[in-house]
Amino acid sequence: MGQAHSAGGSKGQQQPGDRKHDDKKEKKYEPAAPPTRVGRKQRKQKGPEAAARLPVVTPATKCKLRLLKLERIKDYLLMEEEFVTNQERLKPQEDKNEEDRSKVDNLRGSPMSVGSLEEIIDENHAIVSSSVGPEYYVNILSFVDKDQLEPGCAILMHNKVLSVVGLLQDEVDPMVSVMKVEKAPLESYADIGGLDAQIQEIKEAVELPLTHPELYEDIGIKPPKGVILYGEPGTGKTLLAKAVANSTSATFLRVVGSELIQKYLGDGPKLVRELFRVADDLSPSIVFIDEIDAVGTKRYDAHSGGEREIQRTMLELLNQLDGFDARGDVKVILATNRIESLDPALLRPGRIDRKIEFPLPDIKTRRRIFQIHTSRMTLAEDVNLEEFVMTKDEFSGADIKAICTESGLLALRERRMKVTQTDFKKAKEKVMFKKKEGVPEGLYM
Amino acid sequence: MAPDPQQNGTVEKSTQPPPTKEPKKLKKEEKKDEDLSEEDLALKQQLELYVERAQDSDPGVQKLALESMRQEIRTATSSMTSVPKPLKFLRPHYGTLKKFYETMAEGDLKRYLADIISVLALTMSEEGERESLKFRLLGSVEDIGSWGHEYVRNLAGEIGVEFQTRQIEDKPVDDLMELVKQIVPFHVKHNAEPEAVDLLTEVETLDLLPDHIEKANYKRTCAYLTGMASYMSEVDDMQVLDIAYKIYMKFEKYPDALRVALRMDKLLLVEQTLVSCKDALELQQLCFILARQGVTFELEDHMIIGNEDKKELLQDIINNSKLSEGYLTLARDLDVMEAKTPEDIYKAHLIDGRASAGANVDSARQNLAATFVNAFVNAGFGQDKLMTPPPVEGSDAGSWLFKNKEHGKASAAASLGLITLWNVDDGLPHLDKFLYSTDVHVVAGALMGVGMLNCGIRNECDPAYAVLYEYVGKEDPAIRIGAVIGLGLAYAGADKEEVYALLSPLLADSKNGLDLIAFAALSLGMIYVGSCHDGIAQAIIFALMERSEAELGAPLARFLCLGLGLLYLGKQDAVYASLEVAKTLSDKISKYLQVTLELCAYAGSGNVLLVQKFLAQCGEHTEKGENYQSSAVLGIALVAMAEELGSDMAIRSLEHLLQYGEQNIRRAVPLALGMLSISNPKINVMDTLSRLSHDSDVEVAMTAIVGFGLIGAGTNNARIAGMLRNLSSYYYKDPSLLFCVRIAQGLVHMGKGLMTLNPYHSDRFLLSSVALTGLITVLHGCLDMKAIILGKYHYVLYFLTLAIQPRMLMTVDENLRPLPVPVRVGQAVDVVGQAGRPKSITGFQTHTTPVLLATGDRAELATEKYIPLSPILEGFVILKENPDYQQEP
Repeated sequence: MGQAHSAGGSKGQQQPGDRKHDDKKEKKYEPAAPPTRVGRKQRKQKGPEAAARLPVVTPATKCKLRLLKLERIKDYLLMEEEFVTNQERLKPQEDKNEEDRSKVDNLRGSPMSVGSLEEIIDENHAIVSSSVGPEYYVNILSFVDKDQLEPGCAILMHNKVLSVVGLLQDEVDPMVSVMKVEKAPLESYADIGGLDAQIQEIKEAVELPLTHPELYEDIGIKPPKGVILYGEPGTGKTLLAKAVANSTSATFLRVVGSELIQKYLGDGPKLVRELFRVADDLSPSIVFIDEIDAVGTKRYDAHSGGEREIQRTMLELLNQLDGFDARGDVKVILATNRIESLDPALLRPGRIDRKIEFPLPDIKTRRRIFQIHTSRMTLAEDVNLEEFVMTKDEFSGADIKAICTESGLLALRERRMKVTQTDFKKAKEKVMFKKKEGVPEGLYM
Repeated sequence: MAPDPQQNGTVEKSTQPPPTKEPKKLKKEEKKDEDLSEEDLALKQQLELYVERAQDSDPGVQKLALESMRQEIRTATSSMTSVPKPLKFLRPHYGTLKKFYETMAEGDLKRYLADIISVLALTMSEEGERESLKFRLLGSVEDIGSWGHEYVRNLAGEIGVEFQTRQIEDKPVDDLMELVKQIVPFHVKHNAEPEAVDLLTEVETLDLLPDHIEKANYKRTCAYLTGMASYMSEVDDMQVLDIAYKIYMKFEKYPDALRVALRMDKLLLVEQTLVSCKDALELQQLCFILARQGVTFELEDHMIIGNEDKKELLQDIINNSKLSEGYLTLARDLDVMEAKTPEDIYKAHLIDGRASAGANVDSARQNLAATFVNAFVNAGFGQDKLMTPPPVEGSDAGSWLFKNKEHGKASAAASLGLITLWNVDDGLPHLDKFLYSTDVHVVAGALMGVGMLNCGIRNECDPAYAVLYEYVGKEDPAIRIGAVIGLGLAYAGADKEEVYALLSPLLADSKNGLDLIAFAALSLGMIYVGSCHDGIAQAIIFALMERSEAELGAPLARFLCLGLGLLYLGKQDAVYASLEVAKTLSDKISKYLQVTLELCAYAGSGNVLLVQKFLAQCGEHTEKGENYQSSAVLGIALVAMAEELGSDMAIRSLEHLLQYGEQNIRRAVPLALGMLSISNPKINVMDTLSRLSHDSDVEVAMTAIVGFGLIGAGTNNARIAGMLRNLSSYYYKDPSLLFCVRIAQGLVHMGKGLMTLNPYHSDRFLLSSVALTGLITVLHGCLDMKAIILGKYHYVLYFLTLAIQPRMLMTVDENLRPLPVPVRVGQAVDVVGQAGRPKSITGFQTHTTPVLLATGDRAELATEKYIPLSPILEGFVILKENPDYQQEP
């Protein structure tokens, strides 16, 4: 290895000297500039246009100074645009680029085989391995972006000489890509009965920091990082999350806690990492983890490897929530039925700053929920919803929905076009019966 | 909150529904009512009742109704995310109330209602109607803050727009001004100084501001004002700065006021500040600030009333006499007094094998490079290992000197001046012996050295002039050039009449060679930098007219242009007349002269229009031989460097130039990059330069390497040093490129890492025009590497001396003796306009003074025991004991 190194090195360095003599001849091959860094890939590069990112403008408050600064940036961008369009008009580069590209394609050959980079030896040599067979010491072609190469990354190799001809841009784990909500759910805030305080809290904690960060800066506080929604089943936690997804323009990633549990060791934490990395790349974004108790239960002496793995997954989650790397515009929403069983580390301020309780609906809210669900039903004249609203039974939002659906079904069964009060009564009993695990209502008072 | 989507929506679109849709709307309204919770419903009905009552004929009922309505609105607390309920419920009645208002009889009640409508208009009036303001003006003139700050903010916005329209229509604005006078104190009292400033700038009456500012908030306000000044147009920024100056003066913050006065470049205000400042210590601090800025300033007795006895001391400070002493103290403290040899810098042992064995290298070139490296590295230390050691037995004096050839000897002799920089008393004897040499080049070099030695220093007995005076008239052109350059370096920015009288005849004499008059023009430009001196301008223009085409095409002709340009440095419009003349000159030089003039006049102005113009010029396609484009590239950098944003954006723009530009443009880009982040090694610039330093065009590579030197100047940056070492082995066979690498290495280790070339100082607020002069000159010299730097005019590099300053923080006590105190040094954070009292530095470390400050660093005292007299801890800072300090038990 050491010899190979020095051989490659001296070869690379011989050229500038030689060039002097070749100056008169046709343009000769110029050794490419050595990469600025070898080894680990540059992190923190959001997209290909990292270098083209605009400077940050302070202060974030709305004021004239900010306006002036933003205008200054706009001026420069306009000038750039003007310059580039003028130049393009004068000497179009497209043809040239096209030519170059086909040349590169020729060099690359086809098909290309996929392998992985084992080690970078020097500027233009590396050791690669394909999925089968031995490792090879090969050239890296000059048009490959060496800054992006790092040991272990997937590369494209020439089919005959196996030299490195390209690299596969790091692909997002398909597991994560399905988590992205492409189509906004239909439920909006209007579909939530009551829960005014909860809506306000979640808006303040999750939406506002993404849309109006200056409000927080004005006061001089850091906006909360995330919220946890907890409460009885059927009280609208997921519904609220859907409403957030519906109304926000930020990227919305949703996961269910159980998805994070994977078959192989280390896959779970990796998935969590990947999830947050994607969230960071696509920021501003909101990550919603439903049923967090699947991974977030209290730590105790685990007996099986599976339990330990789950705990490790949670530890990764802890790190991602408030670990060493700063999370910028990523907000987290967790939802669970059983907040008491969650690990306290998960809930400490700094990770999850706000705990939003979802209580069972009170009378007013119940009325609202009934209204929402019955608004599209055809009701008979005699229906008096107040009776159900005022009842002492504990309904959750989901129960109310079930009652309405059930009563509708009953009416359907009897081929009526309207839902009557009796339908509702029966439906209610049925729902309550099921809820109390088979004990008919009013039997054991 | 009632989650009806319509009510949840944004507020602007809420207008009265057209009458045709009325029934349908009603139905919906009813339904909406159903959706409301009980409380809301009650509130709604209540409000409806008030609206109805308000239209009652009985004034008593009316009054009561309005009173309660107002109560409701005021007490409504809301979340950030929604409109307060009363406002929401009153929306349908907005029109009714307005209509009723029209019919109402004049009186208190009518005004009362106007108030309420004005508040309602906050959410309901149509965009652009400004009804809130309209009704506010009609309403009672009561405390504006009682409706909450959101209302005031909205009102302020509407006033701005209204003011504009009235200005156009030429209507009186007195009523608006009344309102403004209410709003401004409200903002100022509620920690919203930026908004107060914004409002006053909108209505163009910023002069009102000083009356409202108090001791508690002048700092924030002034920081905002000065922050804004960099982004405003020419005239406005002066006005804003003027207000900041007045505020500082009002609170007797003289050092701050002085900084603003210097920024405005108004000597009258500087004088005024000095006159007002009575405290002797503070006066000394002011003098330190003046000294750093490099202005020549003669103290008169009337300026320092009460401190006449200190006049000598103060003048000494302004004359920079303490600089050398302070610098050496710093060096001793950091233990870097030991002289370094060029080999210590090259660190050849770190390069793989064969580089040191570069056999077939031009040794004179090597030695010349070593001379420069030696001079830069040991600058200001007064000792080195090549030039100053006493001659060893058996060898003649200055043996190193004679290892250089001809003009190389000039640079070698001159390097002594740089080594003994600022230290006139010790330096002159060293140089003196060379003045009697028989070798013309040595004498010329010694003359330059004398100039360099006095660079930025003024002395009672004026040794530089006394020495150089007679040599200007000598026969030999080399000696004359040496003397001329020496004068330029010694008196840059001094506006010295005698030198003008001495040098201007040179320009008129057509028998003189081009090189002599080029340097004479340059020196005059430096001495009268930014003065718009007519006499010199004419002399240079005449010289340009007289010269033949061939001479104007010569590389040195650019210095003639530059000399003229420097006269207008930073003076913006004042350049106009000369610009017109420039258009009439020979084609060979006309374009170049125009670009150079504009570049100088607008350097450090941040004027976007100029950047646009330069970019357009870079976009033109020219025939061979035109060289104005490269100057335009530098122009982009020089104009844009005024503020952070501009320089960041300019770096982006330069990328495009690299992509599309032709060779002569690409050559200038690395220099422009170097200028934009001078002494400030930014990673992205470093990457670009590293790419360019391997460019196939040799000259691009050369300028990129020099660019490395500029961005790393005086930083000892290990990364750049490593890259340069690699380059030195990469180019070991090419003497020209190797020479550039050596120069860059010397620059990076300049003053053993204690120096900076950055012309901006005092928290990047002030631009030292003298420093800028030196940089522009060297950059222009580098545009034609082969002819100037690699030719026989390499001593042009010594013009960098003008920009050299120690990057230190030196704290001194009342008697100006060094006083070690702990300070925190960290990355500066932009806190202008930020809420609260944010930390001004981040990632700090605590050191004991004297300390080094990198570009972008800021320092603050870590002890309460002393109070610094200067708001910005840079350079020399006088500390005063804090009378309130209590030793911690």
